[in-house]
Amino acid sequence: MEDVQIVNALVRRCVAGDAVAWEEIVQRYHRRIYNICYRFAGTSDDAQDLTQEVFIKMYRTLSSYDVDRGAFMTWVTTMTRNLLVDHFRKTKQDRVTDSIDAAPSEHEDAMPLSDHIEDKGLPPDARVQSRETGEAVHQALHKLSPELREAVILRDLQDMDYREIAAVLKVPEGTVKSRINRGRAELARLLQRIYRQVM
Amino acid sequence: MPGETHNGMQCKEFEALLFDALDQKLTDAKKDRFHAHARSCSHCGPLFAEIEAGQHWLKSLQEVEPPANLVNNILVATSGIESYRLQDAAVSAKPALGERIREWVDSFLVPVWSTVRQPRFAMSFGMAFFSLSVALSVAGVKPGDLRQADLSRNGLRRTYYTTSARVVKYYENIRLVYEIESRVQEIKKATTPAESTPKEREKNRKDNTSGQPEPRQERNYSRDENQPVLASLPEPAPAVSVTTTRRFV
Repeated sequence: MEDVQIVNALVRRCVAGDAVAWEEIVQRYHRRIYNICYRFAGTSDDAQDLTQEVFIKMYRTLSSYDVDRGAFMTWVTTMTRNLLVDHFRKTKQDRVTDSIDAAPSEHEDAMPLSDHIEDKGLPPDARVQSRETGEAVHQALHKLSPELREAVILRDLQDMDYREIAAVLKVPEGTVKSRINRGRAELARLLQRIYRQVM
Repeated sequence: MPGETHNGMQCKEFEALLFDALDQKLTDAKKDRFHAHARSCSHCGPLFAEIEAGQHWLKSLQEVEPPANLVNNILVATSGIESYRLQDAAVSAKPALGERIREWVDSFLVPVWSTVRQPRFAMSFGMAFFSLSVALSVAGVKPGDLRQADLSRNGLRRTYYTTSARVVKYYENIRLVYEIESRVQEIKKATTPAESTPKEREKNRKDNTSGQPEPRQERNYSRDENQPVLASLPEPAPAVSVTTTRRFV
């Protein structure tokens, strides 16, 4: 949790021209913003460029931040999300996932996915397996539509609550929950397909 | 099917409790009913399993480490000032003098050593070592002598004075030899007739307007060694007429 008073003081000092305060803000938030960008954009290079863009925009508009209108973290995340949407539009990525309404295959009903996960035997090098799993999940996440992707990233990777996510995405909480559920289920189907191919 | 009731819970209620169940916020009583419905309903059970699995996968993703230069790049791109922390760290982490000297020496030695270690230089160094050992053995240096060398303070001083005395003695002897040699040359000069000085020889050369090359330039490199060379000729030299007959073939 961010210490609201400390952050507000940092923002005030930064607006007054304190370079050390600005560096403190960058140190506090760069990891979080980089991770959001990396999970959304998919590559480290894009994430690095987007993180820089976020901070450049933040540096220019920091004086417009209103403490009464919400937490600094929500303000920063909203700015990040808006830049990611712009980036997505520029790169013209197409949605490549199947619809959540698509009929499941005959094998999917046979066993719940959680059982598939539990049944997988661990290879000798668990670390390598973990890295490979992480890479597979990252790739599958990138195949989700941007609406579902941003919802699950903010909820499951950034641990934001539904109200904050609704504020960032500017949609009702019910829509947020629906997108999160659809995103999780779609990701699970994608990974289930991948692991079925491997197995 | 949605709207059906299984184990006292409708699918609509199940969906409403879905997030609380995933966030582990259900009471024990509700949890039992919820899971009982999930087991019995063919629609809600697989849906819950998928959503739970997706959440599990996403939670398994670990935070990635940003590139090391990201903060500095951001600071340069925004405020134009490099990190104060990095500057402070650089000042505090300044290495000691000895370490810096070692680093400086290593910067020269390491590349040389890495080159020297290549196999193609092995034969060269072997030959160099062999030559050195031969030269030392010819010079009479034996490793055994070095081992017996007195390296104490007094021993080194004694060696220094002995060597100095030897050098001075050698120098005096050489000077004596040169003095004797110069005396002998003086005596020789006094007994032999005086030769023309270089200045006189130069003057004679300039007075010669005959256009003939100097005797030195007449040297014929193809002349046979067996051909007799006259030490002196009567003055003036006799005129010799030579008649040559050219044969045309």
